[in-house]
Amino acid sequence: MKEGLYSNSESEAQQQEPFEAGRWANGELPSNVRVGLNTIITAEYAFKRFRSRRDVALNIGAHCTMDGVHFAIGEQGRVGVGDYCYFTNAVLLCELELLIGSYVVVGWNATIADTDFHPVAPAERIADAIACSPLGKGRPRPEILRSAVIIEDDVWIGPNATILKGVRIGTGAFIEPGALVVHDIPARARVCGNPAQVIGEV
Amino acid sequence: MESGRALPWDWYPGAIPHNAVIADTAYIETTFSFYLYRSEAPVGIRIGHGASAYLGTMFDVGPEGRICLGEYALVHGARIICDCEVAIGAYCLISWNVVLMDNYRVPLDPTERRRELSLVPLRVGRHLRSTTPAKPINVGRNVWIGFDSCILPGVSIGEGSIVGARSVVKDDVEPFTIVAGNPARVIRRFREEEIRYGA
Repeated sequence: MKEGLYSNSESEAQQQEPFEAGRWANGELPSNVRVGLNTIITAEYAFKRFRSRRDVALNIGAHCTMDGVHFAIGEQGRVGVGDYCYFTNAVLLCELELLIGSYVVVGWNATIADTDFHPVAPAERIADAIACSPLGKGRPRPEILRSAVIIEDDVWIGPNATILKGVRIGTGAFIEPGALVVHDIPARARVCGNPAQVIGEV
Repeated sequence: MESGRALPWDWYPGAIPHNAVIADTAYIETTFSFYLYRSEAPVGIRIGHGASAYLGTMFDVGPEGRICLGEYALVHGARIICDCEVAIGAYCLISWNVVLMDNYRVPLDPTERRRELSLVPLRVGRHLRSTTPAKPINVGRNVWIGFDSCILPGVSIGEGSIVGARSVVKDDVEPFTIVAGNPARVIRRFREEEIRYGA
């Protein structure tokens, strides 16, 4: 944790232009990851479950803070993040596509997933359990539902919130802590609950 | 526990903050819990006799924040986001992935939020400054909070109550009440004899 974000105490010191190239504080970025100027990724485990083989699997804009984020991106997964985003200990689970705009905040332990991870039908789940087992090497897995998640600019996602597959969250929406979002959310809506309900506007 | 001291059993090379008052009988599993601690209050955190904070507990305390953890309180991996005051009473049991936040830290209005977010990456340390007023959280004694729950700014939870797992508590909870759900609602109230003598 030597190069952690918070090794400096509260400080008025400012980063100066020209800004540093984006970096991962704990190692060298995988070759198919692009990060913009002054973006910083922390945590040793950030890429522990990063298996994407896309040419550009993770593309993060400039001035982002990705503190303790899990980039669990599957072989065909692709994640795009805009500029000035602030994620703390979020879990991004991607097997297809996550598109995240600029000025998006994702709180601690929030989860965003674009997949069901396993098939829904019982018989297929048995086949999947075998394919995923230590004995399942090379066995193809059944098809699993995936659907891109789109989070537009200026969205705030609170801690412990969950965003599931196929959801589009409109510009400026405010997702309260612990909310579970399974349907699209209109722009500037304030939502809470499980399942998440619109309770007002921002 | 002496402030500025490292813990002999700690895997993380940190120390107890200088403005922490921690009973000798309390147990802190790791000083990593203070990774986000930046309180400048005279006493930023007070941890009572026999209280314990286990791995995964994070004291995310802003410059003016103060946390108080009562006697025998047990915190097992909660995130305490504190910009003014979070008080946890004696004998409380707080489970894993619980969030207690006295502040959203960002404005509700997207345009104002954008202004703050454009400043954060310019700061060394990259802390979100609270741009919204914090509202203290008060958890009474002997409260049990189930895993993955969120306690939102300004909430008071009365003595002896239970918050069920995965609940989101936005409103005050009366003493000796069981609440659950997202958003949380009252499930039942303890009977007088349960409170006095046990079931």
